[in-house]
Amino acid sequence: MSIALTLGPTFFHWPPDRLRDFYYRISDEAPVERVHVGEVVCGKRMPFSDPVWPEVIERLERGGKEVVLSTLAMPTLPRERRAVEEFCADGHLVEINDVTALPARAGAPFVAGPFLNVYNEATAQFLIRRGASTICPPVELPLATIGAIAAACPDTEFEVFAFGRLPLALSGRCYHARLHGLHKDSCQFTCEQDPDGLVVETLDDQAFLAMNGVQTLSAQVQAVLFSPADLDAQRIRRLRLSPHTCDMVAVARTYRALLAGDLAPVEALARLSDLDLPGALVDGYARGAAGSQPVALA
Amino acid sequence: MTAGRRMELVCPAGTPATLRAAVAAGADAVYCGFSDDTNARNFPGLNFSPQEMAEGVRFAHDHGSKVLVAINTFARAGDTDPWRKAADTAVACGADAVIAADIAVLDHMAQNHPKTRLHLSVQAAAATPEAIGFYTEAFAVRRVVLPRVLSVQEIAALNRAIAVETEAFVFGGLCVMMEGRCHLSSYATGRSPNLNGVCSPPEAVSYEEAGDATTARLSGFTIDRYEPGSPAGYPTLCKGQFKAGGKTGYLFEDPVSLNAGTMIIALKEAGITALKIEGRQRGKGYVSEVVRAFRRAVDAAEQGRDPVEIEGILASLSEGGRQTTGAYRKTWR
Amino acid sequence: MRDGDEMSLPAFARRMLPPFAGLPLGAFLTLSLRSLARRRPQVFERLGEHRRARYLIDPTDLPFAFCVVPDGAAAAVRVVFRSAEAPSDVAIRGPILVLLGVLEGALDGDALFFHRAISVTGKTEAVVALRNAIEDAELRPSDLLGLTGVLGKFADAGILGGLDMARRVATSAPAHREFET
Repeated sequence: MSIALTLGPTFFHWPPDRLRDFYYRISDEAPVERVHVGEVVCGKRMPFSDPVWPEVIERLERGGKEVVLSTLAMPTLPRERRAVEEFCADGHLVEINDVTALPARAGAPFVAGPFLNVYNEATAQFLIRRGASTICPPVELPLATIGAIAAACPDTEFEVFAFGRLPLALSGRCYHARLHGLHKDSCQFTCEQDPDGLVVETLDDQAFLAMNGVQTLSAQVQAVLFSPADLDAQRIRRLRLSPHTCDMVAVARTYRALLAGDLAPVEALARLSDLDLPGALVDGYARGAAGSQPVALA
Repeated sequence: MTAGRRMELVCPAGTPATLRAAVAAGADAVYCGFSDDTNARNFPGLNFSPQEMAEGVRFAHDHGSKVLVAINTFARAGDTDPWRKAADTAVACGADAVIAADIAVLDHMAQNHPKTRLHLSVQAAAATPEAIGFYTEAFAVRRVVLPRVLSVQEIAALNRAIAVETEAFVFGGLCVMMEGRCHLSSYATGRSPNLNGVCSPPEAVSYEEAGDATTARLSGFTIDRYEPGSPAGYPTLCKGQFKAGGKTGYLFEDPVSLNAGTMIIALKEAGITALKIEGRQRGKGYVSEVVRAFRRAVDAAEQGRDPVEIEGILASLSEGGRQTTGAYRKTWR
Repeated sequence: MRDGDEMSLPAFARRMLPPFAGLPLGAFLTLSLRSLARRRPQVFERLGEHRRARYLIDPTDLPFAFCVVPDGAAAAVRVVFRSAEAPSDVAIRGPILVLLGVLEGALDGDALFFHRAISVTGKTEAVVALRNAIEDAELRPSDLLGLTGVLGKFADAGILGGLDMARRVATSAPAHREFET
């Protein structure tokens, strides 16, 4: 059985025009089977992106892509909780990133996103009984652990976060606002200035993290470049590519070629390294090591 | 939801000695864990063996206090038995409640020990009526420990919308990120609260004394630097100094700790059932002092005494360290 | 590096102490520690794997230091002279009364470390294990010296009396500095 490619939701605050252009190109050129749309990080951004989604969804579906509506990872305000409820009532497949959405989805199929704490087969089975059809576990889980969970849930698809800056934490406090001396409620959307997130370095100039509003990501870019055989051995059915400002079509084509056996992992690494990436490539998490460990191919 | 009832003071017990100290100082309940990775304070030399837990429960009960056992990490795939056994042992020891976050653990408790009180850990990050409603309906949780990101107004609104008790942190170390969903530690060190029950684990810590300054690192990442004469700290990741956008400093959080003692009355009016003191890794001297002060403050609040008097009781705790009321006042965001 | 045979206890103290008190200080403390392990095995169990670590306890106001391996019935204490030459997994340095105060639990080790009254270097996880074991053990100087009854009370009073001074010294250390954002 072949492994599919998913384009994950965009974590960053891209203006509507950029979003539209990005997804139109994806629908026309990117060899991915499934595309997530929707705002995951900050409810304040939704008034900007919401109007774009209908036309984006229509274009993606015309391009033969399966569309998934991603929901907020940390809904807090009443209007955010209502938005989550509305998305869950939609006929499209929905990605759930917070337990808040579970009751609203009421047993209809959903994607369990990496912000849901699925750490073992018992939790996975519980969510599967509630409708989870794809599970993308938290990024810190080793590939082997995902394989162990997948082995106990043979009828469910497991997806790995294979490319992009790693989502590491969420906070009630907005770090972009704080950096500019502002409050989250009057943030002036400064996060828009950093379409890949803003690098955070240590006092000794080591690139370490990246801030994106209320979200903290890694500075480095995850690149899981296991061979299709190794992925298959862990029962991985999907790879998730997280959007950045680099050429995501090229990223998708590289992974497609890797999965088809046309590219060896080391060649795929070379191709990705040539792109305009926001950070060095790492894959520690997949190998059961610290997430910041550089890519180490067998 | 429980307005009118006396608020419960829930206190940390990292060792049997601290449990006894907390009970003696006036805790209504103490919370503790087993010495393995089933709880989120899995430090070397900390926590309770099953026998120590049973003795601790007996001691607490003899002195009119309750014991809540934290089994609040996430069970390991392919090896979930230690978490089930920990839950069974807690019940066998006579625990008054089990505090859990993982659906697997909650499910085990609900199926196998429906008579034992189940509390939802802050590690479950349940902050909306919908999320809390889900855990209530699925596992019959009786109380939820609220994430430290909600303001008092939000807590009041939440309590009006849910049917279970709520517990709020009032003192101790603050987690600036949403609890139970943070991978900062494993990104740097390979170990994290959810995977191993530790954050910024001690074996990854190194202090380098060079010239005049002491540099604290975690797995090689520089977290903070201290000048001579200024106190050195433990390099918890999110409390470090970093550089971004041309600025240098404590970008994520100032190294302060929570002291919402002045908000006890407001929290009671917002419907909070229990007040929680953080600090299972703190010494018994510290815990005794904090619990004694909060015992007097809570009693004063329950008797309707003057807020100024309550502030006075807690004033001694602010010496020697900077403190904040955290997210309870909305300006924190 | 010589062991502490010149650092024995004064004659009158030796006459009051149990039979092995005629030994050099290192041997005396070794036997005391093993005796403690017989009476309070859980203290050492709490250390876990770190009971085999080498802890260098270096009182900055004494001309010697102690290298301790707290391995229960196999515990060993060696008196060493200049601490820089003693290999160890952990080194804890500070005034003797401050160190004893931490041991007895009257002084908060965390606060002292953060106020730089004591300095700790080496394997942090071994330090954390030791600190947690001591916290729970509620030891007195008499426990460590293997003294009971009246002798124990004398030892505790004499040493703990000095703790009041140590407490004042330790807590007069500078308060937390101001942090800039």
